[in-house]
Amino acid sequence: MLEIKNLHARIEESGTEILKGIDLVIRPGEVHAIMGPNGSGKSTLASVLAGREGYEVTDGSVTFDRKDLLELEPDERAREGLFLAFQYPVELPGVSMSNFLRQAVNSVRAHRGEDELSSVDFLRTMKEKAAYVQLDPSLKQRSVNEGFSGGEKKRNEIFQMAMLEPRLAILDETDSGLDIDALRIVADGVNRLRSRDRSFLVITHYQRLLNYIVPDFVHVLVGGRIVKSGGRELALHLEEQGYDWIREEAVGA
Amino acid sequence: MTNTDSLKPAERGFVEFWRAADGHVLNGRDPGLAAARRSAIERFAEVGLPPEKSEAWKYTNIRRLVEAWAGTDPVAEGPDPGPVDGLFLVPGDAWRVVMVNGRFDEARSALAGLPSGVTVASIAEGASSRPEVFARSFGATRPEGADGFVALNTAFAQSGLFVHVPRGTQLGRPIEILFLSGSERRGFVQPRVLFVADEGSSARIVENWRSFGEGAVFTNAVSEFLVARDAAVDHVRIVDEHASSVHVHYLQARQLGSSTFSTVSFVFGGGTVRSDAYLLPDAEHCETHLNGFYFARGSAQVDNHTLVDHARPNCESNELYKGILDGQATGVFNGKVLVRQDAQKTNAYQSNKSVVLSETARMFSKPELEIYADDVKCSHGATTGRLDDDAFFYLRARGIPPAKARLLLLQAFSGDVFETVRDEALRERLLARLEALLYA
Amino acid sequence: MSTTGTDFLQQVADSDYKYGFVTDIDADTAPKGLTEDTVRLISSKRNEPDWMLEWRLKAFRHFQSLQASDAYPGWAHLRYEIPDFQDISYYSAPNRKPKYESIDEVDPKLIDTFNRLGIPLHEQKLLAGVAVDVVMDSVSVATTFKEELARHGVIFCSFGEAIERHPDLVRRYMGSVVPYTDNFYAALNSAVFSDGSFCYIPAGVRCPMELSTYFRINEAGTGQFERTLIIAEEGSYVSYLEGCTAPKRDENQLHAAVVEIYAHKSAEVKYSTVQNWYPGDADGRGGVFNFVTKRGLCAGDDAKISWTQLETGSAVTWKYPSVILKGDRSVGEFYSVAFTKGRQQADTGTKMIHLGRDTRSTIISKGISAGRSQNAYRGLVRVNKGAENARNFSQCDSMLLGDRCGAHTFPYLEINNPTAQVEHEATTSKVGEDQIFYCQQRGISEQDAIKLIVNGFCKEILAKLPMEFAVEAQKLLAIELEGSVG
Repeated sequence: MLEIKNLHARIEESGTEILKGIDLVIRPGEVHAIMGPNGSGKSTLASVLAGREGYEVTDGSVTFDRKDLLELEPDERAREGLFLAFQYPVELPGVSMSNFLRQAVNSVRAHRGEDELSSVDFLRTMKEKAAYVQLDPSLKQRSVNEGFSGGEKKRNEIFQMAMLEPRLAILDETDSGLDIDALRIVADGVNRLRSRDRSFLVITHYQRLLNYIVPDFVHVLVGGRIVKSGGRELALHLEEQGYDWIREEAVGA
Repeated sequence: MTNTDSLKPAERGFVEFWRAADGHVLNGRDPGLAAARRSAIERFAEVGLPPEKSEAWKYTNIRRLVEAWAGTDPVAEGPDPGPVDGLFLVPGDAWRVVMVNGRFDEARSALAGLPSGVTVASIAEGASSRPEVFARSFGATRPEGADGFVALNTAFAQSGLFVHVPRGTQLGRPIEILFLSGSERRGFVQPRVLFVADEGSSARIVENWRSFGEGAVFTNAVSEFLVARDAAVDHVRIVDEHASSVHVHYLQARQLGSSTFSTVSFVFGGGTVRSDAYLLPDAEHCETHLNGFYFARGSAQVDNHTLVDHARPNCESNELYKGILDGQATGVFNGKVLVRQDAQKTNAYQSNKSVVLSETARMFSKPELEIYADDVKCSHGATTGRLDDDAFFYLRARGIPPAKARLLLLQAFSGDVFETVRDEALRERLLARLEALLYA
Repeated sequence: MSTTGTDFLQQVADSDYKYGFVTDIDADTAPKGLTEDTVRLISSKRNEPDWMLEWRLKAFRHFQSLQASDAYPGWAHLRYEIPDFQDISYYSAPNRKPKYESIDEVDPKLIDTFNRLGIPLHEQKLLAGVAVDVVMDSVSVATTFKEELARHGVIFCSFGEAIERHPDLVRRYMGSVVPYTDNFYAALNSAVFSDGSFCYIPAGVRCPMELSTYFRINEAGTGQFERTLIIAEEGSYVSYLEGCTAPKRDENQLHAAVVEIYAHKSAEVKYSTVQNWYPGDADGRGGVFNFVTKRGLCAGDDAKISWTQLETGSAVTWKYPSVILKGDRSVGEFYSVAFTKGRQQADTGTKMIHLGRDTRSTIISKGISAGRSQNAYRGLVRVNKGAENARNFSQCDSMLLGDRCGAHTFPYLEINNPTAQVEHEATTSKVGEDQIFYCQQRGISEQDAIKLIVNGFCKEILAKLPMEFAVEAQKLLAIELEGSVG
């Protein structure tokens, strides 16, 4: 489904290289976790995959369902089924959740050749999906993320994921700033959305989240490279040992 | 030179005085200065004083005030101020400059120990001893030109003050400039300061404006600042003159790349005090701080006009003006932030807050944004009101007497402007002055 | 912003005007030029009584004195050529018949015009519950729902009809809020106005429907000078909406209107405008000069006047709908969205003059500039000596779409009373790149994202419009943003 080959990317303004050759393959239905210390390039990877401005890919390729992902505009990527749950969701003053999501859902549906949802169906779906993450249905009147608490913003991201039914969801530090109850709600929401043909890339600093969203594979990103890959147990090991031993191993190798 | 017949009486008077004084009183040895004076009087004859209903002078009828000084000799030397020691404001170590009616008084100044290469002199002297600095700096702060007052000042500027801080020089102590204005009956003085901070230098300047004598003085002052690359200039200006005085002042500052210019003005006393600050961050990555505090009572009028002219990208400006108005005083604030088309990524903030204490005091506030670049963050705000009744009551409920409670609240209101004075000892002096004024 | 965003903003900047057709109707048009005879001609064409002619002549003489003393209002942040007042025709009436007894007498072409504008004149087809007065060029051509309104004692008719049938009301109130000496264009209007709308709500009556006037300039080389007068007696309520369109013309057309609102004790008037005069082409050729004086007087205690405007049209806009808060506890409001693109220039805002005790005013203004347009807010809040405990809150936000336009804020706060609390806030920003990216990540195209964000920016103002027009206004804004025709 997603194939990243030798991906190099740098920050456009400063020219600093952040990603220094990433290789990663995600197949349908798989959950991959990417862990790593601060500044290792985790969020840059998410940004490059989603097409955020300000990064320049200097080498390598990314294919998504056999399409060259890097050629696509951010909204085209979203319509192809790539979803990014933002680490810092953006506020859109005056733009109501229902208006925003209706446009989003309908543009994705149109791309898939599906009809627009009727108002009734749309509102029903909204209500149903909001319940996945215990969001108050009255949120449809509210402006996108405006006046939302930190926890609400994160739940709102998962709720939008549920509405858009992506093929690949990237969770960028969705656990940051969440207390344990909120974390559980978010994880439950994600788990409900796991399916045979939907894949996840979970980016996190701590393994705590992976107690709730159990990954199939864990990769450790250090200095812009994946220095180690393994199963679930790798995350537990990192929890106990920290990142230093990996750094040493990487240097040693 | 234009024919003076077509001029209005106020303008004609100045032009005729100038002609009479040209060549002997307004001498100076520097041909560049003489040429600048000549073109300035021509410009003054052309643009004149601000017309009666001009937007920039909407609330201050300056023409009427100038007319009240008609016939006053603008080149007269004026009386001797007597001893000046008690008038300085900066405690402790500082270089001290005394200006009497716009003339550099070297005998009363204390400039021993200035770092080598630093010049503090009259403008005429500076023009001849540092011709290269003078040529690139004098009148270079405002490319588009100000109104007639600046031209008038340039035409009549006598002696004045020239300060040059050469490249890389850090002035460890502040320079306090005491401006004394006085006359026996009526005086019209036009002090001029040219301050040049070259690349990578830093300096602290305190302007201290005071009156002496019985007569009423009209001051038309201009202070120009050139702040070169990576230089940092910190400027404090205090006006505390007689209630009979009229004080018109133009502050013009032009900054080059990555420089910092901070200026804060305090108006504690004066009849009419009009300050016009024009700040031009003229290269990238400049930082500009512009703050002011005004207190007016009786029939005083304080009129602050500011223009931050963002002409280049990636600059930041912060502006805060606060004032307290009592009696029948009038406060005016007109601040403009102009962001020109090239000035992308400008961050500019402006705020004006006033407290009105009496039934008869008035405040006119006009904060403006004029913006031609799209990738900017600009905001301004203005509030006018009286002291917070709830807070006042709260303090009284804690046993604090009304006068003291009022003082506390007004000090709290004004505090953030005083905080911008970095020299703590000076700040204490200024706060004490405020307390004396408010308790009076 | 990426190239597609820039392209879109380019489209916005160049977008076409959808109401720019000309209707080919016989018109009775006065020759160009302005003299005392022109004023007399207008008055006689309209069979006006002598007192009306006298008033016009006084206004005309005042206008002449202003012209003679060069008292043209040049202070606004606008650049345009001052109209040649001798090169304008001051009277143009569609058809020769000055009045219509019933809608059936109206020229079918005219009915077609209004159908194309989305304003059907046949009552059965009208938007439910909205009475419409239609003013084409200078003359009111149709007023609907008159009988229904009459049952409630509400008078809603053309200004001409009001002069004829309600002379006492007109004489008492005309010029009482905007005297002909008020300003240059108010003087001109008072001398040459040809028609307009008149509205009277008796004491205690809540007007049963929205009242609406649609203004249309059609003839070339004409000016439109209409007057609106709204009188709300004690305890009454009315909501009033005006809409404006004009054909595309290469030359500038002058629109100099006067609107006066007189609100007695506890009366409430809500006045909404959707202004979409022809803005001129992408190079700034043609377009309407919209120089309008609008003012309301809260004459009685507890009166309330609220202005809401969506300004998307006109080459040059110069207007400041104002409220004089004379009655104690009276309330003034101003809510505005001004969208400029192409070479449009707008200098608009409000004046809130606090005279009474405990008076309150609120100003919320949203300016959006695109293309090479200039968009300025100019507002005055004045608290006079006797206005104890006056309160004002002003908020002016500007958004810039593109780097060749300008957004300006010129507020004047004049406080003469220490008990006043006056607060002004303003911000200027562009659509955030992070906001656009967030929308795009949800599958929304960059263009739609900009529309969504701009609409969100204006939402609180559009929500103040009467329900029937809020949707229309939102569509208009979307069309303006889209730059597509039709």
